[in-house]
Amino acid sequence: MILGILSLAPELSWMLIKVLVCIGFLMLLAPPLTWVERRGSAMIQDRIGPNRAALFGKIKILGLAHVLADGLKFFFKEDLIPKDANRALFWIAPALAFIPALLGFAVIPVGRSFELEGTTYHLSLIDPNNGMGLLYPLAIGGLAVYGVLVAAWSSNNKWSILGGMRASAQMVSYELGLGLSVIALFVTVGGYDPHQVILDQVQHGWYLWRQPLGFLVFFVCQFAETNRLPFDFAEGESEIVAGFHTEFGSMKFGLMGLAEYVHIIVASALIVTLYLGGWSIPFSRDGDSWPVLATVASFLAKLLFLCWVFVWVRWTLPRFRYDQLMHIGWKIMFPLSLINLVVNAWWLTR
Amino acid sequence: MFLAFALLTIGSALAMAFQKNVIVAGLFLVATFIGVAGLFILLSNPVSAALQIIVYAGAILVLLLFVIMMLNAHEEEPAQDDLYFQRYIALGLGIVLIGGSIILIRQSQLLQSLSEQQVHHIAPVSLNQMGAEMMTNHVISFEIIGLLLLVSMIGAISLVKKRL
Repeated sequence: MILGILSLAPELSWMLIKVLVCIGFLMLLAPPLTWVERRGSAMIQDRIGPNRAALFGKIKILGLAHVLADGLKFFFKEDLIPKDANRALFWIAPALAFIPALLGFAVIPVGRSFELEGTTYHLSLIDPNNGMGLLYPLAIGGLAVYGVLVAAWSSNNKWSILGGMRASAQMVSYELGLGLSVIALFVTVGGYDPHQVILDQVQHGWYLWRQPLGFLVFFVCQFAETNRLPFDFAEGESEIVAGFHTEFGSMKFGLMGLAEYVHIIVASALIVTLYLGGWSIPFSRDGDSWPVLATVASFLAKLLFLCWVFVWVRWTLPRFRYDQLMHIGWKIMFPLSLINLVVNAWWLTR
Repeated sequence: MFLAFALLTIGSALAMAFQKNVIVAGLFLVATFIGVAGLFILLSNPVSAALQIIVYAGAILVLLLFVIMMLNAHEEEPAQDDLYFQRYIALGLGIVLIGGSIILIRQSQLLQSLSEQQVHHIAPVSLNQMGAEMMTNHVISFEIIGLLLLVSMIGAISLVKKRL
């Protein structure tokens, strides 16, 4: 109705709705994830976790009010900039960290495409057969390191620069395994469009079972790409204070924390699309008769479970040493992904 | 759209050239690559755009900035022995390069065929087409580039590893 008043073309208004829903979804899911992380860590470590903040002094809802309190606090904190920092870069660094994290979601289909009054609607921001396909999230994921690098360098702090250097070396090393494991998947599908990948999985089963080695490499490399434990070397609080965001305070720090959680969501969405069948519903192969909302629910359930796995792993595994990180990246993950690629290619030509 | 990306490309390229701070110059180079990727998309070649960002912005520049941070060389250094005629040679070569490419582009048959009949919508190039093209029509240059990369890889290893 509002769209009728704005008199937008149906394609344009559909696009607008999709953009708003997608960005709103990512922004709204990220803060509760911080709550899941804090309460989850408490659960895993046999603590109680945050439960003091209360709305109007009464309503505590399992510490959910802490999310609101944190947000408010970030906004009202004094905005400090170190004396010798590069001011311009210091200002744009949080945006550079946040925007690539947000952009990666654009090609992920969240549900089955459906037809309504003759036009086909796709539930992904960018329509299929755009030629970019799943190369797009990989490209954007590669840009995410600049947020860390710029933040680290601009704060002109030795801890920060150490963190930035670690991050850049880590990202470059793990992108190889990431790319090669995805290439093996593309070769088997015969295409690289997310819709195509999902339809292939609806017909022949999830890639989690068909390429377990590729899944393992991709999964581990995603942890490295999102800078999460056991690979959070850019922060490494017991070694280099807080790494790249040592000097950041107030909402700048808030934005960087938010970027990390948006990154987790997008990484989970990628893993779901590539290896867990995307929006397909398990134990049922009749792809055309699924209700659209059921497919969306299926996608969301998988997504949220994987987000929980990210939290779970963080509070279960300790951090690697830096040389162990490089060893795992170059001498284990990279050869494993090469083996995976060669074996799959051989299997196809057999 | 074309103007936006072209301005982004040229503007950040110029800013990179005139920037004294090496790291900021590197970041401007990233912006240039993103602009070039945008131009590739406008030419309905999203594959090249993605590869441009993955390879150049995502890998090569990160490595470059890593090395700059590692060597702690944040400011541009004055040249050690300034060859005064070097800059004139560079200027001459630059003019030859730009002039030559302008002449070649103006002579290209594709451009002339475009001016005769308008093209409204071109299907974007896909990775599959690109791979097939590389393995059929351009297989020799593909192999030569592969060989070149192998040679440079061996060279890098033999430079670093004193005892093989």
